[in-house]
Amino acid sequence: MVQDVSPRSTVLEVIELGVNFGDAVILEDVSFAVGRGELIGVIGPNGAGKSTLFKAICGLVNHTGEVEVNGVHCHSRTDRMDIAYIPQRSDNDITFPITVGELVVAGRRRFHHWYARPSLHDRTEAVRLLALVDLAGMADRSLNQLSSGQLQRAYVARALAQEASVLMLDESLSGVDQPSTAELFVVFERLVDQGSTLLIATHDLALARRRFPRCLAINGRLLADGPPDAVLAPDVLDRTFGSAAPA
Amino acid sequence: MTATSLLEGEYLRAIIAAAIIGVVAPVVGTWIVLRRMANLGDTMSHGTLAGVGVAYAVGANVLLGALGAGVVIAVLLILFSASQRLGHEAIIAVMGSALFAVGIIVISRIDTTEELEHILFGDVLQLTWSQIVFNLVIGSIAVGVVLLLFSELRLASFDHVQAEQVGVHVELVQAVLVVLLAVVVVISLRTVGSVMSVSMLVTPAATARLVSPTLRRMTIVGVMLGVSEGVGGVALGNALDAPPGATIGLLAAVVFAVTYVATLPRRMPHHHRPLG
Repeated sequence: MVQDVSPRSTVLEVIELGVNFGDAVILEDVSFAVGRGELIGVIGPNGAGKSTLFKAICGLVNHTGEVEVNGVHCHSRTDRMDIAYIPQRSDNDITFPITVGELVVAGRRRFHHWYARPSLHDRTEAVRLLALVDLAGMADRSLNQLSSGQLQRAYVARALAQEASVLMLDESLSGVDQPSTAELFVVFERLVDQGSTLLIATHDLALARRRFPRCLAINGRLLADGPPDAVLAPDVLDRTFGSAAPA
Repeated sequence: MTATSLLEGEYLRAIIAAAIIGVVAPVVGTWIVLRRMANLGDTMSHGTLAGVGVAYAVGANVLLGALGAGVVIAVLLILFSASQRLGHEAIIAVMGSALFAVGIIVISRIDTTEELEHILFGDVLQLTWSQIVFNLVIGSIAVGVVLLLFSELRLASFDHVQAEQVGVHVELVQAVLVVLLAVVVVISLRTVGSVMSVSMLVTPAATARLVSPTLRRMTIVGVMLGVSEGVGGVALGNALDAPPGATIGLLAAVVFAVTYVATLPRRMPHHHRPLG
């Protein structure tokens, strides 16, 4: 079951992607295409390869197969700067002495030489993007002064500062309470309306059913791709989650 | 000891030397602390002993020998960092102990002289003007490199995944930082000694980390502490007739301990983080 996306609107195409760590096969033969302005939930149990899939697409782990961004075949990491990876909440030390504004400005690095300082335009852009994700006035706060939902929105603002057309959020909704999740989706839907494409890895099947127009079910390979009613059908969940399949 | 005599001769040189290491060590140490690489500082301080011993045995400049050992450690770290089975800590520990062993073996085969002892334990009062100028020049280069790479260091240290994505050469930044670490150890050799060099590298920066919400302030506070503790340690060591290097290290540790206790309430988990 693979959803068709018209070539005109395709921003990301993954073709027969595979990842091995030593002898262990983590992912194999994953192929799908993603159109501009799509909001996609990526579901699968722990260890299914969701994070690995995102990192492979971003060129952060070695893989077989091909990744194309905006029709361009990616040979190196720099070819993939149009994709932003937003890590799991636990991946970074949020006590690190960096302000929200500095975090967002960091996304502008791809437009500068290594020795250049952020420009006034970069700072203005950071303020604009923080407002876009409903964090206006928080540029001078430390990261550990933000709630979980606010922190995720700050990372999204950084990805937007990178001018990425595809945002990959890795378990960003884990540990975020329901009101904050609702606020995040207000931002996500706003971004999608403006043409951004979001892939969000999640364990929350109820959320996936409710919020995503399209889902990918992953467990070592792509098991299903389509609208939530089809991907979250009992037989697909059995294949995806095995004996741990939710009722 | 009067204020006048502190500003004369060997004491003036000692104060200037302590001030130089007080600036350079926290500027580099800020990144060592943030990247949780303090054990690498320890390895570097021990590892440079091999370079010092070999240089001394062949009659070369011992400071260049120490710097060479630091570069060797940086290269080895990059070569071995490809191993996913072993963490950096294990590789760093093996390298440090191996080089320390080389240093001990080499030194045991040569006549230990006073100069070698000064390098191990420091003797800031024996510094010459030419040695101070050497420290000032390579210290200024180290500070300049950190300032030039400030944004890259911040990106690579906070989120190396995103840093790689936006074009930062994370491995190269790491290698440069290790070489800077070697430079700090070299500057420390005759000031506080190789054994105590890690205290100037880590302690002022760690103290600054406790009271600084931003990187800029952490660096500035670290430098202020480094200079105060360096100069204060020289004066206190003189007043108490104690070795200056050890006195500087002890003073820095006391300031850290007091700051740690004083800031404990506001570092409790509930203090900053809102719910949700």
